[in-house]
Amino acid sequence: MMRKTLRYALLSLGAVATTFPFVWMICTAFKTYTEAASPTLRLFPDVWQWRNFLETFDAAPFGVYFSNTFLVAGVVTGSAIVTSMMAGYAFARLRFPGRAVVFGMVLATMMIPFEVTLIPNYVLVTRFGWRDTYAALIVPWCANAFSIFLMRQAFLGLPADFFDAAKIDGCGHLRFLLWIAGPLVKPMIVTVGLFAFLGSYNSLVWPLVVTGKDTMRVVQVGLTVFSGAEGVQYNLLMCASTIVILPTVGLYFAAQRHFLEGSLGAGIKG
Amino acid sequence: MIRVPTLGILFCLMVTALGCGGPAGFRPIEPDKVLFWDRQTVENADLLHGIVDQFNAGREGLPVEAQYSGGYSEIYRKVTTSIQARALPAMAVAYQSMTVEYIQAGAVVPLDSFISDPEVGLSSEELDDFFPVVLETNRFSEFGGQMCSFPFCKSVLMLYFNKRVLSEAGIDTAPATWHQFLEQCRQVKSDTGKYAYAIDVDASTFDGMIYSRGGDVIAGTETLFDSPASLDALKLLETLAKEKLGYQIPPGSYDDRDALAQDRIAFLFRSSSHQASVGRLMQGDMARWGIKAIPQADPSDPHTVLYGPNICIFRTTPEQERISWQFVKAFTSPETTVRWSLGTGYLPIRKSAENHPEMKAFWKTWEYNRAAFDCLGFARSEPNVAGWQEVRDLIENAQTAVLTGKRTAEQAAAELKGQADAVLAEAGG
Amino acid sequence: MFVKLAVLGVVLGCVLVFWRRLSGLVDTAVGLLDNLFERRRTGPLKDAPLAGFLLAPALAVLGVFGVAPLVLAVYLSLFEGKGLNMRFGGLVNYSRALSQEGFWDSFLVTVYYAAGTIPLCLIVSFLVANGLYRLGRGRGLFRTLYFLPYVTSVVAAATVWRVILHPHVGLVNAMLQSWGFSADALPQWLLEPNGAIHLLTGGVVSEDVGPSLALCCVILFDVWHASGFMIVILLAGLTTIPRELEEAATIDGAGPLQRAWHVTLPLISPTVFFLLIVSVIKGFQAFNSFYALTGNGRGPLDTTQNMTVYIFTNLYEYQRLGYGAAAATLLAVAIVILTLLQWRFVGRRVHYE
Repeated sequence: MMRKTLRYALLSLGAVATTFPFVWMICTAFKTYTEAASPTLRLFPDVWQWRNFLETFDAAPFGVYFSNTFLVAGVVTGSAIVTSMMAGYAFARLRFPGRAVVFGMVLATMMIPFEVTLIPNYVLVTRFGWRDTYAALIVPWCANAFSIFLMRQAFLGLPADFFDAAKIDGCGHLRFLLWIAGPLVKPMIVTVGLFAFLGSYNSLVWPLVVTGKDTMRVVQVGLTVFSGAEGVQYNLLMCASTIVILPTVGLYFAAQRHFLEGSLGAGIKG
Repeated sequence: MIRVPTLGILFCLMVTALGCGGPAGFRPIEPDKVLFWDRQTVENADLLHGIVDQFNAGREGLPVEAQYSGGYSEIYRKVTTSIQARALPAMAVAYQSMTVEYIQAGAVVPLDSFISDPEVGLSSEELDDFFPVVLETNRFSEFGGQMCSFPFCKSVLMLYFNKRVLSEAGIDTAPATWHQFLEQCRQVKSDTGKYAYAIDVDASTFDGMIYSRGGDVIAGTETLFDSPASLDALKLLETLAKEKLGYQIPPGSYDDRDALAQDRIAFLFRSSSHQASVGRLMQGDMARWGIKAIPQADPSDPHTVLYGPNICIFRTTPEQERISWQFVKAFTSPETTVRWSLGTGYLPIRKSAENHPEMKAFWKTWEYNRAAFDCLGFARSEPNVAGWQEVRDLIENAQTAVLTGKRTAEQAAAELKGQADAVLAEAGG
Repeated sequence: MFVKLAVLGVVLGCVLVFWRRLSGLVDTAVGLLDNLFERRRTGPLKDAPLAGFLLAPALAVLGVFGVAPLVLAVYLSLFEGKGLNMRFGGLVNYSRALSQEGFWDSFLVTVYYAAGTIPLCLIVSFLVANGLYRLGRGRGLFRTLYFLPYVTSVVAAATVWRVILHPHVGLVNAMLQSWGFSADALPQWLLEPNGAIHLLTGGVVSEDVGPSLALCCVILFDVWHASGFMIVILLAGLTTIPRELEEAATIDGAGPLQRAWHVTLPLISPTVFFLLIVSVIKGFQAFNSFYALTGNGRGPLDTTQNMTVYIFTNLYEYQRLGYGAAAATLLAVAIVILTLLQWRFVGRRVHYE
């Protein structure tokens, strides 16, 4: 039992070290600018400035930014799940000529940094007339190689006889995927969904480049408003950042019990 | 087997989509508006929108719209990406080094024909009313001396000083020469224990240090970083670091302003455009600080650096280009330049502003309010040759090398000259 | 905009309410599709039409926004010059890149970064995942806390770290000062271009050897940020290990460390292998943390300029499009080679069931 206490103690210590920056972030969110910008060992503000929250929403229309972000992230997550399930299943369970080559090309898209593909993608998006539209924010991210890779692993982890058994019952591939294989890899689906959501929610550079109108901005772009030439308003920036993190933390907390047991591990092992 | 042709078709479609549109043609991002990408936020943005609205109200035709598009580097990135996409805003703010890149891509409209236009141009009296340096800085020698941009937010490099910290060290006047500056730094450190100068490593500040020593930065396409003036500037940084009189602030931050306002340092060098922000940080206590011209080697022959972005007009449609020029002309008119200056802290660019009653009233409210304007007469612009963007990074590296002790001043100067000359040679070719 | 959300909500609501009916319809539709494809199932190409149907959406998106830019980038890398003066140069950009000191310096930075973050992250995450796995109460809470860094956007987290590590205003140096360190001798963290090893050994090792202190700070930040991701995946892998094997080892007298090394590690080696491959790919392309922590990506005297920052600077700041594209292609090739090498050499030691 000594070992158990030791384990709790060490993990708690680690958790404190890991979350300390967040404690600092939240405390700074309640400070005045001078408090936030001066050298001090004091973690907690003198007077808790609740009005920082009002000022944050005043500085930029965060309500609009949040609704844009949730819409975009929601659609991206949904389509990433659908496209990666379909493609992952095809790569895992179907045999067709050129399969290795195509899978290789899919993986190749992971090998070039995003900053390089930015210009050609931007040119294309402008040619399509998608600047300042949801299409530009959503479509390029509707499928991504990492999700396909994960779903393929998950389907590979399913025993091969499952499909044969289903086929005897008169079930084709698509129905099998939809009603049997799909639910079996639910943990992986939740994982793919979570990472796709995080990727979309936290992206800054692409939305910054393809949107100009204030009504189309997402929250990450909104955060840049606090780092102008008038200085970095640390307290308001931390306030806004805290508000911005809350949805993703909530989402993770709700989702975690669905994806950590069983099949996920088996899928990755495959 | 089926997949390959499908992908092949997709690819061909894509290339065609990209290929179409002509090799050099540009078009406006917004066909119904004259779009202006700028970086002003909060109050300055409100003032800019007010000026834009006033301009739109007085005429027919496409309206001008000012759109906040990030900081200078973000705007630079957006414009260069837009050049690739062949769809540009009508105007954007830009520094000279960025404008050079735009010119090289063929995206910029030279303004000389607009200036000499009988209807919408500027008369020679009007041209004379501009401080010469703000017009010169927009002429690009490598492109036939054409005027390729027009002044927007001009400011000059100034010395900001904290009077309280100085008086703690027994000093009652801020320095006028570099020698005095170094002495005062030493005095501050020895009498108060505080650092004297929070150093914002910036290429423009370094240029100012060279100019104020009577030196120059470039001669033709060869840099002069091995000249005595440049060497002296680097030696000063070396001494400041060695004797712990100054420290470097993180790049891109404004910590030196906070430090000055919190009485932790005595001096900082920044453009005059920060005057309003520092005033706010000082919480209105205007007796505690001041600004003046930067120290000089020879106070009777002063020089400083002209800061500030200009407006670049891009190739879109003839109508949008013309309206853009008209907006720029209206923005730099005597009345508007004063209004802009009083609202933002940037400097008015017309000599006639000196006699404007509101300007005079403003100067009366604080003894140092006029200091920046008086420097316009001897401000010098920075080089605007091709490749200067990269040279700026090299200058900043040289300063950092000296401040962190990795290079001596002589080594840094020699290295900087070699590298800068190589960059300029490659860029010119 | 709220109208759009409301519409979305209504649609989702309808879907949920009429789920039974809808799923029946969906089943019939999918069944029809299945029959369509079943009829084609003859010969060696039998799966091909179905595969085409399943792959079409993903490949359409990836083809247009992933593969095509890649090909275009390679095409662009064959041109030299800037702006209007771009002309065909063949492989000249590549030979220039390979002979530039800046290119190899940035490659070295990338290697330091990968060598620093990947092992550290794997070890830390393994230890934490192991500990969390054996936890009964509070598992959910701890899991959330450890995952928190990954959930945050890099920009927000980096701002926090920048202030905490600020040489003059930051918490870390304030603490050091209160413990007696002289104000003039405090470490400059993200502003320090000298090597960390040089500083730690008091000058014995030359200052240009090894990663700079600034780079080490970036490494630490990314270990902090990415370990949440690894912990989650490792935890999942751990849950598939049969308990009996570990109990048997305990009965045989193995201590916790021996158990971890001889039983746990081999059994989750596929998961670890997966994480290794993914981390190398991501680590070689790291950018956001570099840019957010140093303001310009390059850091003090370019000591945090990794390959991606180098490419980014050439592409966007200096407008050297062809050269930047060539450097990017070389980076992609390096990543592919590393992945294949890992597959060949590390893959052999992975224990599958």
